[in-house]
Amino acid sequence: MVLSRFWYVLLGLLFGAALFLLYIASSMYNRAGLRARAEGLSADAQVVSWYLRDDARQRSAQLIPFALEADVGKQLQRSNESESKVPDDARGKLTAALTRVNTQIPKELGFDSVFAVDQHGRVVAYIGYAQASGMEDFELGGYPVVADALHGYVRDDTLVLDRMYRVVARPVEYDLASMPAGAIVGARVIDDRFARELSQRTGAAVGFYANGQRAAAGSPSEFPTASLDAIVGDLTDLEKDKDYHEKGRSSVREIGGMIAVQYTRLPGEAWQLGAGYAVARQPAAVSGPLGFFSHADDKDKKDGNLPLAVVAALVAAGLGILFSVLEHTRPLRVFQAEAAKFAAGTIEQLTPSRFRGLYRKIASDVNDGVDKQLAKGGGPRRGPADFKEVLGDIPDQPVMSAFSLPGDALESAASAPSGPASGQASSSGRSAPGRNLPSPPGRPRPPSPSGAGTPAAPPAQFEATMPEGGLPAWGSGAPDESEWPGVFEEFVATKKQCGESIDGFTYDKFVERLRKNRDTLVQRYGAKRVKFGVHVKDGKAALKANPIKD
Amino acid sequence: MNAPFGPVSSRSRSRFGGALGWLLVLTVVAPAWADGTKLRGKVDGFRNLLNPVWAEARDPKQHGYSFREPVATVRAEFRRLFPHAPKEICVAALAAGPQKAQPPVLVRVGGGRTTPVTLVVPPGTRLTFQNTDPFKHRLHGVGISTFPPADTARGATREWSVPAAGVFEVRDELAPSLRMWIVAEPNVAGIAYPSMKGDFALSVEQPGEYAIQAFFAGKKVGPALPVTVKDADLDLSRTPLKLADEKAAAAADKAEADKDKAAAVEGDAKAGAAK
Repeated sequence: MVLSRFWYVLLGLLFGAALFLLYIASSMYNRAGLRARAEGLSADAQVVSWYLRDDARQRSAQLIPFALEADVGKQLQRSNESESKVPDDARGKLTAALTRVNTQIPKELGFDSVFAVDQHGRVVAYIGYAQASGMEDFELGGYPVVADALHGYVRDDTLVLDRMYRVVARPVEYDLASMPAGAIVGARVIDDRFARELSQRTGAAVGFYANGQRAAAGSPSEFPTASLDAIVGDLTDLEKDKDYHEKGRSSVREIGGMIAVQYTRLPGEAWQLGAGYAVARQPAAVSGPLGFFSHADDKDKKDGNLPLAVVAALVAAGLGILFSVLEHTRPLRVFQAEAAKFAAGTIEQLTPSRFRGLYRKIASDVNDGVDKQLAKGGGPRRGPADFKEVLGDIPDQPVMSAFSLPGDALESAASAPSGPASGQASSSGRSAPGRNLPSPPGRPRPPSPSGAGTPAAPPAQFEATMPEGGLPAWGSGAPDESEWPGVFEEFVATKKQCGESIDGFTYDKFVERLRKNRDTLVQRYGAKRVKFGVHVKDGKAALKANPIKD
Repeated sequence: MNAPFGPVSSRSRSRFGGALGWLLVLTVVAPAWADGTKLRGKVDGFRNLLNPVWAEARDPKQHGYSFREPVATVRAEFRRLFPHAPKEICVAALAAGPQKAQPPVLVRVGGGRTTPVTLVVPPGTRLTFQNTDPFKHRLHGVGISTFPPADTARGATREWSVPAAGVFEVRDELAPSLRMWIVAEPNVAGIAYPSMKGDFALSVEQPGEYAIQAFFAGKKVGPALPVTVKDADLDLSRTPLKLADEKAAAAADKAEADKDKAAAVEGDAKAGAAK
């Protein structure tokens, strides 16, 4: 069992080590994933920031054609001269000029709305802003981005009005010796279309928010855009984020284990209004060793070298089975076979040398136990010992093989199975009449094989199993050899009665064999004498030996 | 130049009649104050003032933009963020004694600011704030319990009476650039807003001693001009109200320019470090 146990221990250690390694691996994976995710989110946020700035710069350049359009400057100057009211014809001409220039702007750099603002801050003309339709006093002059443009600056801003807008503005000059005639303002709505374009160009999943609500979202195809809606529930706690409050960019935050996000305030007035954008990535953490299975994709599984794992598992299982068969099943089968032989009486004792390990010890113990039981006269029994079971079958021939103990050794007699006694009474007085029997020398032939007046001898049995009452209940107690002629005659008669042949069966050989076996039993069990009796077993005559100690 | 606001008529308060209301203010309301003696004058040096909202917004620390660059063809003197005088500089005639409350005054809310931005009125004057933007505003008085934040929808109005003497600031929770200052001055007898060139004309009903004082962003700017009003109109153009000193403004501009340069260098350094 050494190999099996070593294998079990080895497998246990390997399993424990594998589990431990998986936990370590999952922890390392999560840590690395967290770091990579944080770096990725920061990179995404930075890229989006750069994109927004670059986009604003490029779009501000698209305002130059508007500012250089002659009608734009001219009509704005006309409007400036009228402080009370914008001239109607100036509005019309300016609107036409704006429309004309707008058609020349590349679509990808175009605006959703364009406004022409005079020095008073009034919107003289606009395109693409239907909300202000019919509002003649619509103005934008108070916003810093417009004021800056009216004072000679080009800049961007993010305004949160009815919607969120990315805005760029630049001055419109008419007379270089005077203040700019006005400003041209371009606005791009931050909507899903804007977010999708941004996402396509940056590869980031981004969601814009303002006033505590999601304003727009866009993400790569592999990222579920709807999951960006989750940022709405996180905005309440966002103000508690120290980095977000002070630097405008939050730490990496995980929402419900679904997505990891990093928030960034948008530059412009939106900054003060708490508007911004969130870049998001899906967490790549595993919940435990088994989490690898749920997170592994086809490529991971392909790289997993499944055949090697299967072969290793099969080899491990095969070795385990082999060791089990070699050290458990096979010895057990051998022991089982030997025990079966022992039970069948094919062998007198278990042979420890045929076994290994514990089975050897068990066999030795069984043998010792049997020996001790025999030394005590046998185990509990309910009937007399069968002489045939002790000495073997008595052959019909004079060879007297029936008295042969296995190997003629003392141990053979001692290890003979003491199966349950048949309990049959001796069959004295059953010799067949009319048949000449060989007579024992020096003794007259008894008148009757049954020994008239002699009580039938009870079957022989070991002392240990003798019933209360002792020897008198079983035999006469007379010197043994004096009884043997009677036993011989009774035995011959019984054989004849059973239809057995008695040819060559002589008294001398009978006596010689009885002596030998008597001596063996006396020596072995320390009996004073041995009383033999006759009985029928399995339709044949048989002898029973009854060692008597007293 | 007359005041671009005045007591609110029923029509101007009705429904988003911005333009019409504006005209009513100019043509109907102004004559109510114009019944007395007219004082014509001029403010000078208002281009040396600095709009506090715009000045604050240009500070890079406010994160108001991702880029802001001057256009080279615009002369430096125009790049100073001086206020829009017709809305932001209020010239008031202060009498020697308290004056009665004026009729309701219309304040238009739109375009990222109010019109006017600075208002000088006697305490008790009722103000009507009218939203002229196509989206809502949420005005509130800073530290004023009687003027809590509340939505004002497109075209809607909101009323508030100036409770006592002092300076009150009104802001909009939805538009950080919107800041208005209301100076409650018991002795104010009349107000006017100068034109882009600085000309103004105000009226006082009663003859007497007055001090012509300019207000900007809730504060007095420049020295007051004492005048004695009799029955005849007065022309004060020869003694303009000097609101700010050119040299001080130039020095402030230089300091601001240096700060911008330092911020730009710092920004470049941060950008380099980020790369």
